[in-house]
Amino acid sequence: MWWKTLSVVLIIYALLAGLLVPLKSGIQRVEPAYARTKQDVSIRFYGYNTFFAKPAAEPLRVWLYADENNALAARQIRPVNDTILEAVFTMPENLPGGKQSVYLNAIIDHPEAGAALLPAAVELRQDTGMVAMALDPAWMANPVQKLHVQTGFSFPYQNVIYESIRNTYFHVPMWFVLLFLFSASVWYSVKYLRQPLPENDRHAAAYAEAGLLFGVLGLVTGMVWANYTWGKPWSNDIKQLMTAVALLIYLAYFILRRSFDEYEKGARLAAVYNIFAFASLVPLLYIVPRMFASLHPGATGNPAFGSQDLDNTMRAVFYPAIIGWTLLGFWVANLRIRYQRLHDKVMDLEG
Amino acid sequence: MRKFFIIILFLAISLPAVFAEGNRDYMRETGKINVVVAVILVIFLGIVWYLLRLERKLTKLEHQIHDTHERKN
Repeated sequence: MWWKTLSVVLIIYALLAGLLVPLKSGIQRVEPAYARTKQDVSIRFYGYNTFFAKPAAEPLRVWLYADENNALAARQIRPVNDTILEAVFTMPENLPGGKQSVYLNAIIDHPEAGAALLPAAVELRQDTGMVAMALDPAWMANPVQKLHVQTGFSFPYQNVIYESIRNTYFHVPMWFVLLFLFSASVWYSVKYLRQPLPENDRHAAAYAEAGLLFGVLGLVTGMVWANYTWGKPWSNDIKQLMTAVALLIYLAYFILRRSFDEYEKGARLAAVYNIFAFASLVPLLYIVPRMFASLHPGATGNPAFGSQDLDNTMRAVFYPAIIGWTLLGFWVANLRIRYQRLHDKVMDLEG
Repeated sequence: MRKFFIIILFLAISLPAVFAEGNRDYMRETGKINVVVAVILVIFLGIVWYLLRLERKLTKLEHQIHDTHERKN
């Protein structure tokens, strides 16, 4: 019983922490997104979860930088409100490396909210015919340094994703639940083949059924999320395709179970099929997707475990969420097993 | 019960579209937070759907036990 309580506690924790912890500050976009050399340009920064107008102990600092050695600090900074900031830059005479055009990243450093970054925010183009020999010293005058880091609990800010990064605690754990339930299912299938007790078969079937439920939930929630981040619910992403194949393979497991009049024959064949299904699940979900380009983050490393996609604050919610949802999955499967046990008993009595 | 559930499911799917009318995009504004709400709702409804299915099976079994009991007496 304790683990059912734990499941509820952990899911409530995932819901509360997952929804209430704020995002870090970010830069959504800048205007204008291009400039020419040897000009004074006033650029508007549109922030997300920013506090530009809030008085702080130290002044705000704004940079546009090409790389770690070449940075331009804003000459003049004027907050319009908490989310809009106007900064004036004096563009140098020429570009680093003698290039014709260079993309500058933007950084806004706030003493409390920390540094917000927007890659390739402004395109700076060389003014015609003005290529000086020596690089303009303005590039080296104000290097990006002493950035502040936000100390409180917060989740990473990412453009396009925004608040939906919180789906990490709801969509992603579905796949962990699926893996644990299917593992339990194949374990009992092997057990059934070694010792053909109906109890082992009941376990195998119930875990596979619950696993399929969470697989479908993972797929549907993924489609909802994809619709608002990738633009459409189904992009034939390698993970989407392989998951659909894996779920169809498991769907066939249930069709196979029901297609025999003789219980023991069906149970034994289903157990054998389950082993094959599990053997194909691992390459379908964990090996093949890493060999192709995917829209999913971290597809080339350990998906959902990469340091770029998960920071320590997210881990503190993500791991408990996985445990909570997994226990809930086993709880649901447990109810199914108990129903089947009763059902078989009643049928035996009548038969 | 089933009809009730279908209505809820229908509302859950169609409500964002209703709110998205005009220039307002209900799902994309306020940092796409409603995508998270939708995802949580889908998971909740999915699990409730499974439990309802199980409940129906249990009800059937209860009737069966009841009938057998009456026949014996």
